[in-house]
Amino acid sequence: MNICGVDLGFNFTGFQLIYTIVACIMWICSLLFSKEYMAHYENKKRYYIFMVATWIATVGVLASTNFLTTFIFFEIMSFTSYLLVIHEETPGPMKAGETYLAVAVIGGMVMLMGLFLLHDALGTLKFAELTAAKEAYLLAGGSSKRLFAAGLCILFGFGAKAGMVPLHIWLPKAHPIAPAPASALLSGILTKSGIFGAIVVSVCLFFENQTWGVMMASIGMVTMFLGALLGVFSIDLKRTLACSSVSQIGFITLGIGMIVLLGEENALASNGTILHMINHSMIKLLLFSAAGVVYMNLHKLNLNDIRGYGKNKPALLVLFAIGAASISGVPGTSGYISKTLLHESIVEYIEHAAHLGHAGLSNLFSVYEWVFLVTGGLTFCYMLKLFICIFIEDNKDWALREKYKNKYCMNNLSLGCLIVPAAILTIMGLTPYLTMNGIAAGAREFLHGFEAEHAVHYFTWVNLKGSIISLSIGAVLYLGLVRIFFMDDGVYKNLWPAKVDLEELVYRPLIALLLKPGIFKYIDGIIDNFRFMEWYHSHHGRHFKKFHEAYLYARDSMSFGLFLAAFGLAVLLVFMLISL
Amino acid sequence: MYFTFAADAFSWIFLALITFMWITVGIFATKYAEHIDHKKRFFLFYILTYLMLVLLCFSASYLTMYLSFEFMTLLSMPLVLHDETKEAIAAAKKYLYYSIFGATLAILGLVFANRYAADTFVAGGSLVSGLSESQTLVLQIAIFLSIVGFGAKAGLFPLHSWLPTAHPVAPAPASAVLSGVITKAGVLCIIRVIYFVFGTEIIRGTWVQYALISLALLTIFLGSLMAYQQTLIKKRFAYSSVSQVSYVLFGVFTMNPIALTGAMLHVIYHSVIKDCLFLVSGAVIFTNHKHGIAELEGIGRKMPITFACFTVASLGLVGVPPFAGFLSKWYLATGSLAEGIPVLSWLGPAVLLASALLTAAYLLSISIKAYFPSREGGKTPADYCVDDKEAPNRMLFSMILLAVLVVILGVVAQPWVNLFIDVVGGLF
Repeated sequence: MNICGVDLGFNFTGFQLIYTIVACIMWICSLLFSKEYMAHYENKKRYYIFMVATWIATVGVLASTNFLTTFIFFEIMSFTSYLLVIHEETPGPMKAGETYLAVAVIGGMVMLMGLFLLHDALGTLKFAELTAAKEAYLLAGGSSKRLFAAGLCILFGFGAKAGMVPLHIWLPKAHPIAPAPASALLSGILTKSGIFGAIVVSVCLFFENQTWGVMMASIGMVTMFLGALLGVFSIDLKRTLACSSVSQIGFITLGIGMIVLLGEENALASNGTILHMINHSMIKLLLFSAAGVVYMNLHKLNLNDIRGYGKNKPALLVLFAIGAASISGVPGTSGYISKTLLHESIVEYIEHAAHLGHAGLSNLFSVYEWVFLVTGGLTFCYMLKLFICIFIEDNKDWALREKYKNKYCMNNLSLGCLIVPAAILTIMGLTPYLTMNGIAAGAREFLHGFEAEHAVHYFTWVNLKGSIISLSIGAVLYLGLVRIFFMDDGVYKNLWPAKVDLEELVYRPLIALLLKPGIFKYIDGIIDNFRFMEWYHSHHGRHFKKFHEAYLYARDSMSFGLFLAAFGLAVLLVFMLISL
Repeated sequence: MYFTFAADAFSWIFLALITFMWITVGIFATKYAEHIDHKKRFFLFYILTYLMLVLLCFSASYLTMYLSFEFMTLLSMPLVLHDETKEAIAAAKKYLYYSIFGATLAILGLVFANRYAADTFVAGGSLVSGLSESQTLVLQIAIFLSIVGFGAKAGLFPLHSWLPTAHPVAPAPASAVLSGVITKAGVLCIIRVIYFVFGTEIIRGTWVQYALISLALLTIFLGSLMAYQQTLIKKRFAYSSVSQVSYVLFGVFTMNPIALTGAMLHVIYHSVIKDCLFLVSGAVIFTNHKHGIAELEGIGRKMPITFACFTVASLGLVGVPPFAGFLSKWYLATGSLAEGIPVLSWLGPAVLLASALLTAAYLLSISIKAYFPSREGGKTPADYCVDDKEAPNRMLFSMILLAVLVVILGVVAQPWVNLFIDVVGGLF
């Protein structure tokens, strides 16, 4: 099929099949959930049209087999999802939409630059041919720096969509204000389309490239830690979940880094990455929908307002608990399996690097292991904060407390939409050897994963230890930090660092500076403006009125003067020609 | 020297483009003319300009081309002048001076072509061999200056500034053809000079090529940056044209078959898109008497079809697939990289993309404001543009036609690419 002069290529096997199915589950649940959630919104038709358009575009991205196809659908996806972000059209969403669109457009353009460079170097953009083309290119003496530059540009574009630090700025802004079903999709699957591209670049072009692997792992570390830290500070339900998304994207990015670094021994890393992706998609579908249930009943997201809302709603409590436990990596959940795999891959690399004599790297990854465990703790901490606030505590306001005793919170269709992801998570968590290993094996080829030498036993002491350390850190942080320092007289304090905003402090001023005409204003008027005379006039205008007239006259005659100059030039050149 | 006419692939391509645009904009103009005085004069010069463009397309020697070019300038000037206000007359004068200055520079090329090249156009150029070093240098200077001269029509820096002066004062249909089509006449002349008279050999890899590419890149960036600063709709579009036509010139100067294919694609794409944009501005002026960008807030709900066309055209100009505009960039950039000119080969694509970002900033912001006006202070979209109404049907017809073309040309692109690769292949 040839569209836009590009031979579109799709593949529905392995990883791409699995993720297409995940996308379809997510969209069907979100669309059905929208029926109740969107009942009182305006412009429903627009919402549904762009939901479906985004669905098609996202499947196009996830099933593509060459970068041009990816790019085309990626751009479509960015623009159609913009309409979902700004659905309410009030100033808040419009501002967040601006951020979202700017990040998407800039990311898209930088990615396109990377594709130009890559296409020029390798002559192909098909995923299947990239590795061989890269080998040939390097053998023929091609510059590896150029390849790296191309890779970085492409990663920039995909990373912006995925929410990797420092391009995560749109996530905490766009998610809280988009309608909840759209947030679920943005967070659960649109970010994964960015991860999809990052995986392709990493494994096809930079497999076993140490620099790239360490870079990805480091980006992942920073992203996961910062996201989780922000999550602890937030007292807005959906913003906490958005921060959590940033953090989980960090885990996945780390996984990609480990796949690259470990090379042929990357069985754990590749399994962990794919499983964490699926886990995170399902968890975020579940949690954002749960947040949507809260919002559609209360139209509030602040923890102090919604406190105690879930007390008499056992169904919501159980569903939320499943999601929260899974994302915190409590043993027995699917999140435990994927996080354990990722953790083990770090441990593996520490030994691996020491074995190869890279003491520095070995030490670095020992630090990373602890960051990983602490981040796991932070995850547990903010999830505990949300869960206890909504489902355990009583609201301070007696009127609200009475109101929240009402047992009804959603209709059966919406309940069904929440049960689907919860059921998938539970089944996966309870039968890891059957389901999760199976999924991981199916997706392995795409991630350039290798088969494990020994079967992994998930519930041995070594593996449980990591999870227990994380959960203990989380519990300690919750009791020691959140309950004591983040609460004031039983009220959650707003500690969101609004002032420390990368976008407001760095990006916006930088872009405003770049958009100023500056010197180009003068270059633009170089022919027909004597700017210095204009300046002179504005400073001494009263006394030099005549002068100003002369200036206007001069400006008018300037182009005529040029005409004469050209004529003279013509004569001169003809003379030169004759004399030659 | 003879007056010679002949038809080759480039003639037919440009003729088809010009004719289609002239008819589409003409349909729009019949409605728009209700708004202006001296209708007969307007349409007389509208048609005369078209005839000169046809002559230009079929010109087969430098001299014929030069004369058609001059006549086209003179006959299109009354279109700019049409409103007869002080600004319009000043703008027309500026247009004339710039064009004549450019044409005078182009005479240089004519003089040298007469001595050193064949009488008629020859694909690939017909420069005599065995030139001495000093002859080559003088010839290079002449070629450079004549290209800069023809570049005045195409809005190439430093002779670009007639565009932003002339467009805001000319009637919208005139702006549309000036910007969408007549600038392309400059491109055609440059293609003829480089590829049909002197050939690429004498320019490739010399300071002439580097200087020309640098000028084109400067124009691309400058145009976009200045477009972003403008507060008048038509002035913003005019600067946008300055930038976009230089995309084409960048491809022409790169002298690579792939880049030239991209340039030809962009000729078509930009004509369709920019005419659509100027017709939108015309529709807004005609129906609702608005000239400023700030006045457009919330107008999208009153003129939904017009602004749907605007949005499609804008996305095309930014280069968002699947709309037209993406593929031309792809070919321009890959061609430039394949040519491997030091620094400029990768700087070019980078500038193209920076300009595309600015294009997104200055066009999509209009679209967003038009559809989603600010709700600050409890305002609703119904509070904006209360008295405005949708454009009349005849205008909508032209705009929709062009907007649909933006989509069709974007989606069904391969036949065009193949055609241009074929046509361009004969020049190298």
